[in-house]
Amino acid sequence: MNFTLKIWRQENAKAKGRFETYKVENISSDCSFLEMLDILNESLISNKIAHPVCFDNDCREGICGMCGLYINGRPHGNDDGVTTCQLHMRKFKDGETIWIEPWRAKAFPVIRDLVVDRTAYDKIIQAGGYVSVSTGGVPDANSILVSKDKADKAMDAAECIGCGACVAACKNASAMLFVSAKVSHLALLPQGKVEAANRVQKMVEKMDELGFGNCTNTYACEAECPKLIKRSNIARLNREWICARVGKEK
Amino acid sequence: MNLPKIASISRKILVACVGLFLLVFLLVHMGINLCLLRPDDGEWYSIACNFMGTNYIIKVFEVVLFAALIAHIIITVALQIQNWKARPVRYHQPSKSKTSAMSKTMIWTGGLVFVFLALHFVNFYFVKLGLVEGKYMIQTEHALSSSELQAKYMAYTQGKLSPEEMATFQTEMEAVQGLMIKAESEGLYSDDMKWIRNLSAEDVKPVEGIVEGIEPDFYNMAFELFGNKVYSVIYLILFVALAFHLIHAMQSAFQTLGLNHNKYNKFIEGFSWVYAIIIALGFAAVPVYIMFFV
Repeated sequence: MNFTLKIWRQENAKAKGRFETYKVENISSDCSFLEMLDILNESLISNKIAHPVCFDNDCREGICGMCGLYINGRPHGNDDGVTTCQLHMRKFKDGETIWIEPWRAKAFPVIRDLVVDRTAYDKIIQAGGYVSVSTGGVPDANSILVSKDKADKAMDAAECIGCGACVAACKNASAMLFVSAKVSHLALLPQGKVEAANRVQKMVEKMDELGFGNCTNTYACEAECPKLIKRSNIARLNREWICARVGKEK
Repeated sequence: MNLPKIASISRKILVACVGLFLLVFLLVHMGINLCLLRPDDGEWYSIACNFMGTNYIIKVFEVVLFAALIAHIIITVALQIQNWKARPVRYHQPSKSKTSAMSKTMIWTGGLVFVFLALHFVNFYFVKLGLVEGKYMIQTEHALSSSELQAKYMAYTQGKLSPEEMATFQTEMEAVQGLMIKAESEGLYSDDMKWIRNLSAEDVKPVEGIVEGIEPDFYNMAFELFGNKVYSVIYLILFVALAFHLIHAMQSAFQTLGLNHNKYNKFIEGFSWVYAIIIALGFAAVPVYIMFFV
């Protein structure tokens, strides 16, 4: 398969970026999107055309959350429930022009080319996305009772890999789906419930401080999340917030 | 427009609560509008307008309503500005994510609803506030038996009025009589004779301060306004914007308040659609009726 790539190139955080056009040929339809970029980079290096295109990646199994490209108007491209590394070239038409952009958000500044700084997510987690005390090893099966329903919901929320597609997809660059997933997976379980009220307030305050936008319930985040995190988590975050604020002691 | 001390979710909760209140108000307003369509020569409509204009609980709610509306506008605009700032560099490619058009255009449909409100206030509400001239109506019994006039009449029959007071009283009586004669000759009485309607600002000026209960005649103002096809079409277009706004508004308010449940989500979504369409059709019914059937 042959493709024309329009890739965002930017020397560094302060440089002015631009789109560059590259052509890639004889790409296997079983090639992943990142492998296709590897092939492009090899040709850029060997033919000394330009500096290779920088992009984030790590596990290439769809579980680490490192990769993330805005491809033809969709975070992680035109497939549902997959990360960029799990997107395959068979999802594109032969000869297609593919626009590749970095995540765009004030809180995710571009470092170089397609690489963005997602430290903001770490800061939100550091603000309260944890359980303060060590909960020890695996407890006996029935020592802490958790209903199947809650365990399932907590696990679903814990699937979030923090890739940032929700922010990238949201027209407001809001991080509500990410924060809600982190708040939910802890608040739903007994070990996390103890600090739930404090946690939700600290994480939301940090999220606001970092310059993410506000959720307007458009649900582009849900549509683009590679782990299919649901909007019901955002509603739970709102509930947790209301309960925390109403019950707040001065 | 920064409101730094209130967290984003708190602001959104405020917008949602106020929005739900406004949704209920729209239903009440629509109910009153639909009274216009009753073939009773505006009897129900006049009663409803009179109730809304004079009831003290409604007057309190009028203040609450305006506060709510202003809060809704200020907070949403402030949130929107933050949202724009959250993505200083836009994407080159337009978003192809699966989302509803209504949810993405709230600020614009909201803007159109604001334009509608401004137009609507100039056409109707400002007449009530006395900022714009419109048509007026007076309850017949008020015109005949103003307590002040009656007291003066008693004093007049008992010969207790000074010559100056006599002169004023006579002018006032003439003004009221003039109004009654005009009402009689031009057929301005409503079918039930309870109201003298369709009075212009010039008609009511002489009796201002003498006759109690001069009210805006929204019934005839509506018929006159919607008799103009341009206005009717503008109103209808803006009702479509209102419907777009409301379809997303209600379900969004529920989500913001944390009321999301797999069992009820479909119902909430359906209810939002039905509510928005009923409101828009209810409001559109009056101009459509006047345009095509009057």
